[in-house]
Amino acid sequence: MIADHLFFACINILLAWSVYVVLLSGNLSFAQGAFMALGCYCAGVLTVKFNFSLFPAVLLAGGFSSLVALAVGYPTVKLKGIYLILVTLGLTVCVRVLLENFKFIGGVGGFGGMTGADLSSVLIAVFIFGVLLYWFSRGSLQRVCDTVREDELVAASLGIDVVATKLLTFAVGAFIAGIAGALYGHYMNFVRPENFDVLLSIYVVLYVVLGGVNNMWGPVLGALIMTLLPEYFRILAEWRPSIFGLSILLILLVRPNGILRFRLPTLKDKGSFPHE
Amino acid sequence: MFIGQVLNGLVNGAMYSLVALGFTLIIGVLDKLNFTHPEIFMFGGFVGIVSMTYLPVPWALIVSFLVGGTLGLITEWIAFRRFKTSDSKITAALSSMALGLVFTDCVQKYWGTEPVSLPALPAWLEKNVLIAGVEFPYLNFFILGVTCVLMIALHSLIHKTRMGRHIRAVAESPINASLLGIDVKRVSQVVFFISSGLAAEAGFLLSLRSASANSEIGLTFGLKALAIMAIGGLGDMRGAMLGGLLIGIIEACLFVFGLGRWVEMTVWVVVIVTMMIKPSGLFSTRLRLMEARA
Repeated sequence: MIADHLFFACINILLAWSVYVVLLSGNLSFAQGAFMALGCYCAGVLTVKFNFSLFPAVLLAGGFSSLVALAVGYPTVKLKGIYLILVTLGLTVCVRVLLENFKFIGGVGGFGGMTGADLSSVLIAVFIFGVLLYWFSRGSLQRVCDTVREDELVAASLGIDVVATKLLTFAVGAFIAGIAGALYGHYMNFVRPENFDVLLSIYVVLYVVLGGVNNMWGPVLGALIMTLLPEYFRILAEWRPSIFGLSILLILLVRPNGILRFRLPTLKDKGSFPHE
Repeated sequence: MFIGQVLNGLVNGAMYSLVALGFTLIIGVLDKLNFTHPEIFMFGGFVGIVSMTYLPVPWALIVSFLVGGTLGLITEWIAFRRFKTSDSKITAALSSMALGLVFTDCVQKYWGTEPVSLPALPAWLEKNVLIAGVEFPYLNFFILGVTCVLMIALHSLIHKTRMGRHIRAVAESPINASLLGIDVKRVSQVVFFISSGLAAEAGFLLSLRSASANSEIGLTFGLKALAIMAIGGLGDMRGAMLGGLLIGIIEACLFVFGLGRWVEMTVWVVVIVTMMIKPSGLFSTRLRLMEARA
C-alpha cells in the first residue's frame, strides 16, 4: 500500500519537475499530460509489441516525447502567455483523441500488458533527474534561462537565442514527462487514454504553483503534499479538489506577484553574488 | 436528414457562441482569462433544475442569468480583484482555475457526478414541427430565439448605452478610462456579471436540450468554447458568435459523414493551426488592438 502511494508521489514529482523545467524559460505548459501519455504508449508499444526490455524502452519513450515537443514547440514557443496556454491545452485534448482512435494501441478500450516497473525504478529516475536538475541549477545554463524568463529583449541583446532556449526547456520537460509516463504505464500494467485527461495537466501545473517555483524543491513539495496527504487524512481525500483549490487561491492571494516571479538568489543576498 | 443535422448543429453552435462570448468579453475588456467561466456554465444547468421546479421556464431563464452573474461577481472579487496589472495575467488565470476546482467540487458534493435529470418540460415546448421531413422540437427554436435575443441585447448594450461606452473605453485603455473619470472597478464588475450570466444561461439551455444537468461538462464543453473564442480572435465578439455557429455546424457535418469520434479534436486542431499562422484570430477587428496586449 505504502509502496503504491510512494510510487504515485514519485511520478507526480517527475511531472512537476517537467512543468518546472518548461517554466524556467518563462513558459507555462498545460501539455505535460499529453507528453506523459505519449511516453506511456510509446514505451508500452516497444515492450509489448517489439519485446524491448524496460530500460531502453523508457529512454526511447522520453526521446519520442521530446521529439514531438520539438516538432510542436518550434512554431508555438514564440507565443506568449494566454496563447501558449491555449495551444498546450489543445495539444492535451488532441493527443487524447488521437490515442482513442488508433486501433493498433487499443483505442478507447485501453492498452495493456506492460510490466516491470516498480518503486525502485521510479526512485532511481527521481534521483537521476534530481541530480541533473541540481547540477543544472548551479551551471551557466540556468543563468541563460533566467535571463530569457526575466526579459527576452535583454536576453536577445546579450546574444542568447531566445527561441532555442525556450525550445530546449520545452523538449527537456517533455522528456521528463515522457519517462514519467513510461514508468507509470509499466507500473499500472493497463492504461486508457482517459487516464491522461486535461485535468491531469491542470493538476500538475497547480502542484508546481502550490509548492513554489523559486527552486527545484518547490515542485517536489507540492507534489508530495498533494499526493501523500490525501492518502492518510480522510477529510483531505474527500474534499481534495476543494482544499487543493483553496490553498492555491490562498497562496496566490498572499503573494500575488511572488509565486510566478522567481526570486533570484543572486539578487537576494548580495554576499553570494558571483563576480566572475 | 442533412438539413436536420445542420439545424441541430446550429443549436449546439448557438450555445458554444454564448459561452465563447463570455470568455471574449472578459479577455477583450479586461485582458484576463477566466477559467471559472466553464464551471459557471456547468452550474447554470443546476440552477435551471432548481428554478424550474418552482418557476415557469421564462422566469427560470432570468433566475439562471442572475445567479450566474452573481457568481461572476464573486469570481471577480476572489480571483481577479488583486491581479490587475498586465504582469499578473497568468496568475489571475491560475487563481480562477483554482476557484473553478473548488466550485466543481462543491457542486459534485451536492448533486453527485452523475447527470441529474430535469423536471418535465411545459407542454408548449414539447411539441414538434415538421421541416424538410424531419421533426424538430419547438425547444430548438426556443433556444435559438433566446440566444438571438441575448446577442442582440449584448450588442446594443455595448454599442448604444452609456455603460457600453464605458466598457469600450476600458477595453481601449484602462488607465486612460480612469483618467476620464470612469469607474474601472464598476465596469469590470459589470463585465463579469454579464459574461458569467451568459455562461449560466447557456448552461441552462444545454440542460433543457439534454433534459439533464451534468457536473462534468465544464471542462469539455467549456474549454471547447474557449478554443472557439481563440479561433475567432481573442476579444472579438463577432468572431466568437460566428465561430461558435461555424463549429456547431462543422461538428454536425462530421457526424453525418461518420467521423463523429474526431469531433472533440477538430476545434483544437483549428486552434493550434490558427495560433501558428495568425495568432490574432480569424477576424481582425476587435475591441482592443493586438499590439496593445502582446
